[in-house]
Amino acid sequence: MATEEKKKELLEKLRNAVIQYDEDTAKEAAQETLNEGLDANDAIFNGLVSGMVEVGRMFEAQEYFVPELLMCADALYAGLDILKPHVKQLDLGVKGSVVIGTVEGDVHDIGKNIVKMMFDVAGFTVYDLGRDVPLDKFVQEQLRTDSDLVCLSAMMTTTMTGMKKVIEDLRAKNPNVKIMIGGAPVSQDVADKYGADGYAKDATNALKDAINMIESLKKMKDEVEAKKAK
Amino acid sequence: MTVTTMTSRERVLKLFAGEAVDRPPCFSGMGNVTTEGLKSLGYKFAAIHLDAKMMAAAAASTYKLFGFECGVAPFDLCIEAEALGCEINVYAHSEDLLYPTIKKKLIHNEAEMEITIPSNLTERGRVPLMMEAIKLLKKDIGGEAAVGTYVLGPFTLAGQIMELNDLLKLSFKKPDRIGKLLEQLADGIIQVALQYEKAGADYITVREMGATSDVLSPRVFKSLILPYLKKIFEKLTVPSVLHICGKTNDIVPFMAESGSKAISVDQKNDIAETRKKLGPKALVFGNYDPYNVLVAGTPDLVRQTIRKCMDDGVSAVWPGCDIWPTVPTDNFKAMLDEVRNYRR
Repeated sequence: MATEEKKKELLEKLRNAVIQYDEDTAKEAAQETLNEGLDANDAIFNGLVSGMVEVGRMFEAQEYFVPELLMCADALYAGLDILKPHVKQLDLGVKGSVVIGTVEGDVHDIGKNIVKMMFDVAGFTVYDLGRDVPLDKFVQEQLRTDSDLVCLSAMMTTTMTGMKKVIEDLRAKNPNVKIMIGGAPVSQDVADKYGADGYAKDATNALKDAINMIESLKKMKDEVEAKKAK
Repeated sequence: MTVTTMTSRERVLKLFAGEAVDRPPCFSGMGNVTTEGLKSLGYKFAAIHLDAKMMAAAAASTYKLFGFECGVAPFDLCIEAEALGCEINVYAHSEDLLYPTIKKKLIHNEAEMEITIPSNLTERGRVPLMMEAIKLLKKDIGGEAAVGTYVLGPFTLAGQIMELNDLLKLSFKKPDRIGKLLEQLADGIIQVALQYEKAGADYITVREMGATSDVLSPRVFKSLILPYLKKIFEKLTVPSVLHICGKTNDIVPFMAESGSKAISVDQKNDIAETRKKLGPKALVFGNYDPYNVLVAGTPDLVRQTIRKCMDDGVSAVWPGCDIWPTVPTDNFKAMLDEVRNYRR
């Protein structure tokens, strides 16, 4: 078993690899983590995600912009791909599955992909429908997969209105499903009017919301573990 | 009763020329067709992108119905990409208002970035249709209202012909390669824009919203985006507008350096601050929210917002983006009424 010091060093290495968008180092550090017998969950949350939290802060402070964000995401995935097969199934008390996509008429998927990344990290089962998704498809997929959450993204005002229709259809078929909408033109007002459960104002907020979600998951995980320890 | 001595066209052209106008014009350089206009013509939205006559009639309808002070064609953002070889989707099956998008990109990976601009670019895709539409629009309302059109900026066009994900990362990792592509695209855009001028466009807007500060840093804007915008504006002979939506507060000084006659920004811009930065003579167009205010707001909110735009110092009352077609008639009327009766 690795020493506490070695563990700290590796977590720091994972974190910095994400911040400095260094895919090679992220892979290397992930492999070392496994070689040293460290817990993969720990490496993901306290290494990779911790780095992404800092990236989110830098993005908000306008030290980083979308290109950097995308490269950081690549580094995170590079590490995640190695660590994920070694993650023990978490019992978080939440059933995590999500249908996600960009609505018909809209071919922008960067924001959607960043949110998706956070679901991947959290160990959700993600049904990614991609972009320019016909509106009926969201409802069909939700019913097929019985997902807890549906995330709709629209980058343009000109496509945002399609989300309203999807929300109405989803509610009619399945009143319990949670619906989150996001994208540049979306506001709290729009989310309320359309009847969504949650919304992410823009890329920054989508990321922040997703991170908040992960952090609350982490908290839940800690609580579950604390209970077990008793 | 105010006596109007200027036509809308004179007002717009005088403004561009830096001459005195009786009041700021209320117009746009971007799409402004309305469902009311489509209804009056009996057209489906999906059809007006593919027929010059229908495009021109739809473009004229907002002036005719509401007195909006221009006619602008086209309505979608795919003209140049299509002429370069991309396939588009016009969603012909749909009864909803869906704008055409790119179905098949031209560049799928970094290796395919070596492109050549077709020598007959302006004869390809819908460029000839566009020229015809501009001519018809000019013939129809060109005596009274200014006729506008738009092209994409090189970076935004690059985002249409290749994956945005790749474009953004490469702008950071390999700016030289992206610069080379933007240079070529700028040449293509100039060719198209010059044909639009020949067809009779009174003014041309270059839409470079891909380079908004929501996406790219002001530093990258200056080093990678601005040089090719300058190249375009150097070649245009009719009045030109540079439009960027989203965050623009930090790049308005660079936008003003581009050589365009006017700059256009959306509701995220602090116009009063921009006016201070650029001085009293700069032409700054904007900056009301064309969906949340004009479509979803009440006539009162519209009036209040338009008044604030003028109080803050816009040179023309102009939307932050395309006007979403389902504008309530009362809101459109409230906007124009507010502009006409505004007293500082």
